[in-house]
Amino acid sequence: MTDRKGFFDLSGQRLNRRTALKGLAAGAGLAAAPGFVRYAQAQSSEPIRIGFQAHRTGIGAAYGRWYERTTNAAVKAINAAGGINGRQVEIVVEDDGTDAARGAEVVAKLTNQHKCDIVYGTLFSNVVIASAPTAGELKVPYYVVSEGYHVASGKLNRWCLQPGITDVRAQVTAVAPWIAANAGKKVTMVFPDYAFGYDHRDYLPPALEKAGGQVVAKIAIPPTESSFTKYFPQIPAGTEAIYHVMVGPAVLTFVKELGDFYGSSGPKLFGFIDSLEAVDINSPGLEYLDGSHFWEGSPRYAQANDSEAEKAYRAAVGIDDNGAAVGDPKDVSTAAHMFGCWETLYVIKKAMEDASYKGPQDRAKLVEATEALTEFAEGPEHPQGKKVFNGKIHQVFGSQNISKLEGGKLNVVHKTAIEDGMYEPEADYTTQPL
Amino acid sequence: MASHPHPGPLPTRGRETPTSLFRLKLPTLACPGGAAKSPSPLWGGVRGGGAPSYANGLGKPLFRLPILIAATSLLPTSAFAHASDRGHVLLLPTGYYLLGGAVAVAASFLVLALLPPDLPARLWRGRLPLVEAGEGLRFAVSLLSFAGFAMLVAAGFFGSRDPLSNPLPLTIWTLLWAGLVLVQGVFGDVWRWLNPWYGPWRLAAGLLGPRAPMRLPARLGCWPAFVLFFAFAWFELVDPAPDDPARLATAAGLYWLASFVAMLAFGYRPWTRRGEFLTLFLAMVARFGIVERKGRRLSLCLPGAKLWGVAPLSASGIAFILLALSSVSFDGLAKTFFWLGRFGVNPLEFPGRTALMGIGTFGLGLTFVLLAGAYLLAVWLGQRAAGSSIEPGRAAGLLVWSIVPIALAYHVAHYLTALLVDGQYAVAALSDPFARGWDLFGTADMQVAAGVAAGAQSAWWLWNVEAGAIVLGHMLAVFVAHGLADRLHADAGRAALSQLPLTLLMIAYTVFGLWLLSTPAV
Repeated sequence: MTDRKGFFDLSGQRLNRRTALKGLAAGAGLAAAPGFVRYAQAQSSEPIRIGFQAHRTGIGAAYGRWYERTTNAAVKAINAAGGINGRQVEIVVEDDGTDAARGAEVVAKLTNQHKCDIVYGTLFSNVVIASAPTAGELKVPYYVVSEGYHVASGKLNRWCLQPGITDVRAQVTAVAPWIAANAGKKVTMVFPDYAFGYDHRDYLPPALEKAGGQVVAKIAIPPTESSFTKYFPQIPAGTEAIYHVMVGPAVLTFVKELGDFYGSSGPKLFGFIDSLEAVDINSPGLEYLDGSHFWEGSPRYAQANDSEAEKAYRAAVGIDDNGAAVGDPKDVSTAAHMFGCWETLYVIKKAMEDASYKGPQDRAKLVEATEALTEFAEGPEHPQGKKVFNGKIHQVFGSQNISKLEGGKLNVVHKTAIEDGMYEPEADYTTQPL
Repeated sequence: MASHPHPGPLPTRGRETPTSLFRLKLPTLACPGGAAKSPSPLWGGVRGGGAPSYANGLGKPLFRLPILIAATSLLPTSAFAHASDRGHVLLLPTGYYLLGGAVAVAASFLVLALLPPDLPARLWRGRLPLVEAGEGLRFAVSLLSFAGFAMLVAAGFFGSRDPLSNPLPLTIWTLLWAGLVLVQGVFGDVWRWLNPWYGPWRLAAGLLGPRAPMRLPARLGCWPAFVLFFAFAWFELVDPAPDDPARLATAAGLYWLASFVAMLAFGYRPWTRRGEFLTLFLAMVARFGIVERKGRRLSLCLPGAKLWGVAPLSASGIAFILLALSSVSFDGLAKTFFWLGRFGVNPLEFPGRTALMGIGTFGLGLTFVLLAGAYLLAVWLGQRAAGSSIEPGRAAGLLVWSIVPIALAYHVAHYLTALLVDGQYAVAALSDPFARGWDLFGTADMQVAAGVAAGAQSAWWLWNVEAGAIVLGHMLAVFVAHGLADRLHADAGRAALSQLPLTLLMIAYTVFGLWLLSTPAV
């Protein structure tokens, strides 16, 4: 694959975190900043302002840091290749503190005060859900990178779109056939006892049954639990595979205690890397995971058969072959999710070009242009792989990676087909007025 | 991607309660300076229905946040509860540390009880002269500091909106609050020079005349500083967005202005000792620093040595020091699964600070009341056990100085990670304060190594440093209390006996502090 459009031609310049993101001093256009001069020379109009609703502080900060870096890299690449419709892209960061109530305020602030064209980048579901009504009221396109099913469910509104990352329902549905065929047909689920766990609890069993498997037990763990041994006797003796989606600080303890419980034997394990995003997979306590399988949105570790686009994406974002920050091997990335920022920005670019977007007066046209998109080819804009977009439910679909932890690395052993994750749409946003 | 025991009954206001005793007898001396439900059914779980309980064997939640939780559980959701570095700590044998910490503090007490009672005093008298240094530059340095502060406030309004790129929140919360407090506590009163009010006040006093037009009523004691410190702690720990550059610029700018006006009205010295909480707090902390200034002479001394001869604090001074410790304790407590579980908040689906403002305000007040109650009770019991005729208020006012090293230790433990990571962001942000592409110090583009505090190895050494600080802080507190008790009691046996309840409190607080660092938290 060649880099014909110069997506990754950063002229050998090291990524400068200030140029794209730090910017936007209040009330001052970034064009004044030296970092933008070379871009400004090639343009005659105001930059397109993308409001980045970022989890810079609060519990989402570890993800926020990597969402920032990925966004920065994508914007740098987009600007280096001429921007959008000949205009440079400027990112305006507002921290929402990973706070649902502040999320709505931030959407309003980015729209009204900072005059952003669109709002983008939100990860945490509670922030997305709380912010969506404001986006709808202000009629500002709101592109989230959240992975939640809330967009596709039809519970939000027409201004909310998720074109850069698949949702958890599709992920669960896509991996079920592989689990039934390879890990085991009798599956016990262990999940945290709240909404995130319920997504898995509700979507896995039907998909597994369709594939000839069966969920034999569902063990819900209270979120404040920090010791798990007492739950393990609930795992039925005939269990062939344990499907685990534990999250939070006690994950390492969970794995260690599971290992202590089963010793060298036990059922096969299948997990979601959400449990261990930004955590070194070789950390003490995780030894029992060796040989087990994980879902990954995008692989953390560089793979032998990585495309040129994937290699270039990793270089642009600044992650090494182990998925950690270049030069800071302990700063492990959130690789499974953050590619969604990169791909979402390129979808925004494509939709703005299709809509001949000029300014806020064209926001409705932009939503319609996004809804009209159907496919994104694998390549520099979509390094994770080909995508199919459903404009009615504002949700993208793509391949999922199933990786085996071996030799201290996660190696992709199976890539699902896009169709594996598709489900019957339950909504149609296009019927809502703009 | 986030518990304290159920609060026991508060002390009643009877004649025998420590509260009433101190209320009646406290001296009116000025302040220092001279100062869940059980695991869901196997197939259970409520989808879009009622809020599940997260207390998990911790008793029933005190309150619930039905609207909030309903809002977040109505829809399917993804969870990004980061496994975080606390996860690595959970695998460490922290229970042994809790036990070891308690034993170390108890052993310190026993060893001190066996040694000559005037040992601290003798050790504290030692000085190693350094250099002579005048204060000629203090005025100029303060003016420079003020100029820097003004620039930072301007950056808060006009610089980057990103709190990790704007130098104002990074300077105030990381360099000043996390960093300078430590410098003061370890070395001494650097703030005396850096104080951004002194220079402008000198200038204004030169124009308006040196006499302050008003007198700060003596009966107010340090209560203005107490109230302002509480407001500061509330802003830091409870307000939804203390990092927001513009919000912080408004708060910091207004606080500077209001303090400046108060200094002009009541005089610099009275207001910085009884009203301006930051200077008062930093001066108290600096008493533990190892550099002493007497006249023009700078000397090295032992930690706590500058307490020799310190006057007992008034009720407001006692409250101020206890608030310093209780607020940093609550900072740790508020993030624990235990505390959140008390209120039915699912820590893995942490709703954000806005939804927890009521709980936070309650908790900040509660920790102060509990600590103050426990401290006063311990002092009162100690005095009673020793058969002392000294007013309990005087004893409490003197012994409260022993709380300062504990507050410092908590400060180290709770802000060390922020200092290591956000400190790097601060260095970068200061190089380009207005996000104009400047590079004043050549650090604007430095890569922030967030990995310095990440992973099992970092978690191990951070835990050891933090736990070490907590234990050392309490051992120093026992030492200080021992030295001060010697001033209160002529008889060594009685002095030791009087310290027993306070030592027990310190042992309990050591365990509490280590538990805060080792329990699951957001």
